[in-house]
Amino acid sequence: MQPQFSKAEAANAPAGAIIHEDATAKWFLVSSVAYFFIVGIIAVIIAAKFVWPDLMGTMSWLTYGRLRPLHVNGMLFGWLLAADMGLAYYVIPRLCGVKLWSEKLGLATAALWNVIILGAVVTLLAGLNQGWEYAELPWYLDILVVVAWIMFGINIFMTVANRKYQAMYVTIWYIMGCILWTAFVYLTGNFATLFATGTNQANLNWMYVHNAVGLIFTPIGLAIAYYFIPRASSTPLHSHKLSMVGFWSLAFVYVWTGAHHMLHGPISQWLQTISIAFSLMLLIPVWAVVYNLFATMKGQWHQLRESVPLKFLMSGVVFYLLTCFQGPMHSLRTVNAIVSKTDWIPGHAHMAVLGCFSFFAIAGTYYAVPRIWNKALHSDSLANWSYWMLMIGGLGFFTTLWLGGFWQGWQWNNVSIPFIDTVIALKPIWIVRFVSGLMMFTGIVLFAYNILATALGNPEEAAV
Amino acid sequence: MFKKADNNALWAIGLSLVLFFIGGIITTVVPPLVDTSWSKPFENRDPAKGVTGKLVPLNEQQKKGRAIYVREGCWYCHTQQIRTLLADTKRYGWRGVDAPISTPDEFVYDDPHMFGTKRTGPDLARVGGKYDTQWHRTHFRNPRDLVKGSIMPAYPWIVNNPEEFNALVAYLQNLGRSKDWRPANDYEK
Repeated sequence: MQPQFSKAEAANAPAGAIIHEDATAKWFLVSSVAYFFIVGIIAVIIAAKFVWPDLMGTMSWLTYGRLRPLHVNGMLFGWLLAADMGLAYYVIPRLCGVKLWSEKLGLATAALWNVIILGAVVTLLAGLNQGWEYAELPWYLDILVVVAWIMFGINIFMTVANRKYQAMYVTIWYIMGCILWTAFVYLTGNFATLFATGTNQANLNWMYVHNAVGLIFTPIGLAIAYYFIPRASSTPLHSHKLSMVGFWSLAFVYVWTGAHHMLHGPISQWLQTISIAFSLMLLIPVWAVVYNLFATMKGQWHQLRESVPLKFLMSGVVFYLLTCFQGPMHSLRTVNAIVSKTDWIPGHAHMAVLGCFSFFAIAGTYYAVPRIWNKALHSDSLANWSYWMLMIGGLGFFTTLWLGGFWQGWQWNNVSIPFIDTVIALKPIWIVRFVSGLMMFTGIVLFAYNILATALGNPEEAAV
Repeated sequence: MFKKADNNALWAIGLSLVLFFIGGIITTVVPPLVDTSWSKPFENRDPAKGVTGKLVPLNEQQKKGRAIYVREGCWYCHTQQIRTLLADTKRYGWRGVDAPISTPDEFVYDDPHMFGTKRTGPDLARVGGKYDTQWHRTHFRNPRDLVKGSIMPAYPWIVNNPEEFNALVAYLQNLGRSKDWRPANDYEK
């Protein structure tokens, strides 16, 4: 195989090596890390509002109802998806053994993406909210998202089409799958909903919300895990065949489950039952992925002690397993009757998007940035601290919200308890959530500082 | 078939879209065609068949109020659905009468839908007529003046704008009223 290097490493590269420009990856990674930090501030503020409801309550654009969509959209699209895209621009050319099809197009995509995120900040704070979860952005920004996604897709697909190695590693499949499914899922959630009302619209909305996680963040997140776990541990993937089982079952099973967000609600019973059945089937792709990645690490676990990316990656896999076990379980009608609409749900959602997929993206960033800039990571010890802060803060956040949510659900099911007493009862839960949120935010600050100091700081000795 | 996708990008693309579209179409396009109650507005004149009433579209003022409800993100903390659970029908009933279960035909004109996912505050599907305008005025000015321990934000800029406040209250008072569920017609104004 032809050796491959980033442009910054080119001085030491042997003749005939492929030199990757990585300009697009750089821009996506740096801006996404910056948004991670900025939106983290908003996350802490809205967690604080649960404890001190009058905090910053004198201005309409700082109320909970305006900041929450900014938190969700900022984290999902400003940080996570942008970081995932940046890593895709890094990974795909390397797996294909060719340069990225067009760095110019890539840079234009990065610029457009930043325009979208800044537009989102302005419109959401102004209350220009479409009223659909995850699809709050007004239609003109939605169109820009579609354009940016097409630009991203063309670049990746053309790179894959020009690839030097015929066999495609599972990461390439997942990223291509993500680009295709996202296109349809996003159109359903942001444009098809314009032509529907009521339950019909809600059903489309839930198909989108569920698959925003299931068919956007899951495939691109798993693509990253599948690439960086073998890379960071220098161990080959356990089984290509098993990764194939995981991919095709994901492609088939995920899209059916949207209606499980409306169990017991005003939507047809048969559709609820279908969504429950397919939610249980989700255990197949999940187990295929988790087993494969665990088996890859067999005999290699000691490497976690030294490697921060591996720590994040393997904790992410554990959180993936837990999230995807929770999901099918609380789709069961009996469990759903207790946990649905409670604080359990944000606990579950944060484990998926932060505990699993953000951990993967953080790991990829920690691995790729020193190589792209050909500098040693600014500080290994800060990186370790960022892991433990995010891990302990995250665990505190998830577990208190599950316990609190379960307890809240039990109280709601006892009609003799007035609603307000179930709110007052949760105050200690929200205090713990705020404190663990602060810990997570500290982890984000350490991560962002470390990455930006590596990328933008003074040149230090080159990475090994 | 799946093996072929290993080396052939077009196969991989085609197959992943085919698998995706089977479930995608059955769960999004088919249901509204099969279940007509999703698009037929609720109407029942016969008490023997259950709660009577008729769903009518919102008037201009209520529409304006609804837009404020959407703008301020009320729906992040308040759901609008009485589920098929005693916990909902009993808890969101009023003065000893159970709240009727929400059905798709009550929401035909809802755009955007406001079913919601999270109950940080109580469900509002049947809140129409439970509290009078003065209660809402005090409550929006500072929820903690009326409900000790509430964590709802205060909305003085809505209360201080009579047009917005009246529109919002007009919308809230209409919620859940297409089913005429109060036997004594004892709705507050």
